[in-house]
Amino acid sequence: MTLDQLGIGDSFVISHVTAVGEIRKRLVDMGFISGATGTLLRRAMLGGPLDLRLGAYRIALRSDEARQIVVAGRDA
Amino acid sequence: MRSTPPPDHHPTPVVALAGNPNAGKTSLFNALTGQAQHVGNYPGVTVDKISGFATIQGHRLEIVDLPGTYSLTAYSLEEIVTRDFVLKEKPDVIIDVVDSTNLERNLYLLLQFQELGVPVVGALNMADEAERKGIHIDVPLLSKLLGIPMVPTVGSKGTGKDALLQAVLDVVQRRVDTAGRHLNYGPELEDRHDEVVEALRSDAVFSERYGLHWTAIKLLENDQDAVAKVRQEHAHADLVLDTARRAADWVSKHFGKDPEVVIAEQRYAYIRGALREAVRTDPKPSGARDPTDTVDAAILHRYLGVPIFFAVMGAVYSLTFLVGNPLSTLVERLFAWLGELATTLLPPGILQDFLVNGIIAGVGGVLTFFPIVVLLFLGLSFLEDVGYMARAAFVMDKFLHLFGLHGRSFIPLMVSTGCAVPGVMSARTLVNPKDRILTVLIAPLMMCGAKTPVIAMLCAAFFPKHAALLFWCVWLFGWLLAFVLGFAFRKTLFRGEDSPFVMELPPYRLPTVRGIAQHMWHRSWSYVKKAGTFILASSMVIWALLNYPKVGTWSQDYDARAAAVQERARQALEAPGIADEARALIQKKRSDALAAIEAEKRIEAARGSFAGRLGRFLEPVSTAAGFDWKLNVALFSGIAAKEVIISTMGIVYGVGDTNPDDESSPSAPAPLRQRLSADRAYSPPAALALMIFVMVYVPCVATLSVTRKELGSFKWPAFMAGFTLLLAFTLAVLVYQVGRLLV
Repeated sequence: MTLDQLGIGDSFVISHVTAVGEIRKRLVDMGFISGATGTLLRRAMLGGPLDLRLGAYRIALRSDEARQIVVAGRDA
Repeated sequence: MRSTPPPDHHPTPVVALAGNPNAGKTSLFNALTGQAQHVGNYPGVTVDKISGFATIQGHRLEIVDLPGTYSLTAYSLEEIVTRDFVLKEKPDVIIDVVDSTNLERNLYLLLQFQELGVPVVGALNMADEAERKGIHIDVPLLSKLLGIPMVPTVGSKGTGKDALLQAVLDVVQRRVDTAGRHLNYGPELEDRHDEVVEALRSDAVFSERYGLHWTAIKLLENDQDAVAKVRQEHAHADLVLDTARRAADWVSKHFGKDPEVVIAEQRYAYIRGALREAVRTDPKPSGARDPTDTVDAAILHRYLGVPIFFAVMGAVYSLTFLVGNPLSTLVERLFAWLGELATTLLPPGILQDFLVNGIIAGVGGVLTFFPIVVLLFLGLSFLEDVGYMARAAFVMDKFLHLFGLHGRSFIPLMVSTGCAVPGVMSARTLVNPKDRILTVLIAPLMMCGAKTPVIAMLCAAFFPKHAALLFWCVWLFGWLLAFVLGFAFRKTLFRGEDSPFVMELPPYRLPTVRGIAQHMWHRSWSYVKKAGTFILASSMVIWALLNYPKVGTWSQDYDARAAAVQERARQALEAPGIADEARALIQKKRSDALAAIEAEKRIEAARGSFAGRLGRFLEPVSTAAGFDWKLNVALFSGIAAKEVIISTMGIVYGVGDTNPDDESSPSAPAPLRQRLSADRAYSPPAALALMIFVMVYVPCVATLSVTRKELGSFKWPAFMAGFTLLLAFTLAVLVYQVGRLLV
């Protein structure tokens, strides 16, 4: 399952990132690595960016990027 | 392996301040350096370099503020500047400013500095916030585990700054050695790493210049910047790169993931281990909610988010004009007074005319809007520093993305509604060069502080009943045009992949007064500089173009006409038994007639000048849009600065200076307004065409200049001038011709 397929309020654990190059560097630098946990808080309207809590901070990213992050569900 | 400068490398120790964005680096920098700061540039790039001095125990330290970065990969300009500074300038110590409420991610950068082999001290900033959140850090233990001295600080209050400087001093004076250890990446990685290090050692000069340990890691990560450096500077580049590639392939096969990912995971694993031992977090009382989350539930609400955004922007603008208009009037009165002073002190002649109508009018006209621009920047700076701008980018990203723009384009566009000069400069935050150039090209299409008085006056003159509504429509038109053009450019000239949108939403924090003031001042200063340089120079040039050559022979004897008017009035006033009302009426008619003659004379003078001739030359073409030679002259002067359009119009319409006794607002000199609406050559469609032309055509010289500086080439401002002129004229002609058919 990829990050963009989660429902609002779902918690997740990151499995790995399928992106390559610049996008992957950016994601990894921002903490999207195996084992990181978080929650999907909300989505902007009309398919806009996702608002996540990742560890202790909040990150916004587009569905395009979220689609390249593989996650597993997690009981909050 | 570490490349350290010899002990006397820097006479005054250089301390670099680094850290994540939103970690409070700027507040800490202010606390350490006090008032005296110097803003410069990193060589070759448009990133501000801010430096200052701090003193501890009689020792002076130079503190350099590095840009905020998340990592030392070569992803963005900020990161490249940071690592180049560390590699080339070799600061004596780096202070890494860490957000104590967000340790895991902030320490990721700290580890990378350690990899670089440069002495690091950690400032555990926002210590008060961490305590409030129940995060208890065993600082000595954490320091020991990471091998780096750490000091808790509260940058906004200055707490801990002495202890921090003491720790820095200890490192500088070699009482503490921080660079001795580096993170162990596990045996497999360490072996591959050592192989690459060995290959690198084959060039002693390179080894001296760059940290081997760090370069080896970067090569394993396939960091392009490191690869380029090796290729350019290492004597045995092929050997090194070959070794690195083989090592990287081995790691990929062994771990089933790229070395880049493996190394990142190792860093995080190491950090987690250290945090597990040294940090204890109180469990959150059930039901307790972070204030940031509570506020965001409303601000980022799926359906309320956008309306709230418009409301916030509306509030900022309303306040700006509410407080700014009276202040503008004050500035205007000041310059009018200066003009009068010059008129009385200097004998009539060229110098007086030059000073009063050239310089004071020109520069004064621009600085009149300074209060409004400053207030707008104050509002925007507050929103940025409190953390709202990131939310605005979140809410508006979809919309921007539809037009091919990046969420980060948003702030430059907002800033450009005040002035495009700092607006273009804020485009630096865009990582992708295509996004950046695109944003710079469309930013000047906004209605800026300079265009505002022109548009406002035209609205009031030609559409008195709906002036305010029309004004805001034109304002929106600027945004619309920017988006549409951005979209068009994205599809044609700047095709390519979309840059990723991965943005941190920082917790809401109350900014310090000093922080906002500095932030605001930094931008406003560009506006003042613009006035002091370009506008001053341009005012002088335009004055010359409008006043020379002087008329040799007048087309009619104006003096005789004026004398005749005086004579008639004198005779009328001598009539016996004349009532006071009649007397006043005769006097008024006399001054009106004299003013009209003066005006005709001035218009003829303007018509014969260089500027007038240019205007007439363009007339055959410009009439398609409804512009006569007078408007052409005014628009030409607007290339200097858009505000100048109004004062030039005053001159070519023979109105001269704004009447200081006039009660009207700074943006609508009544005599000019009356003259315009009375001139039968102008009509609403022509006025509309004019407004659109003013909004779109060639950006002012200051903007063009800053564009050249930011994008590094003359071709961009040239392109900008060209396409805006063409687009503006096309739209103006369209509006005028269609308008004429409809009206």
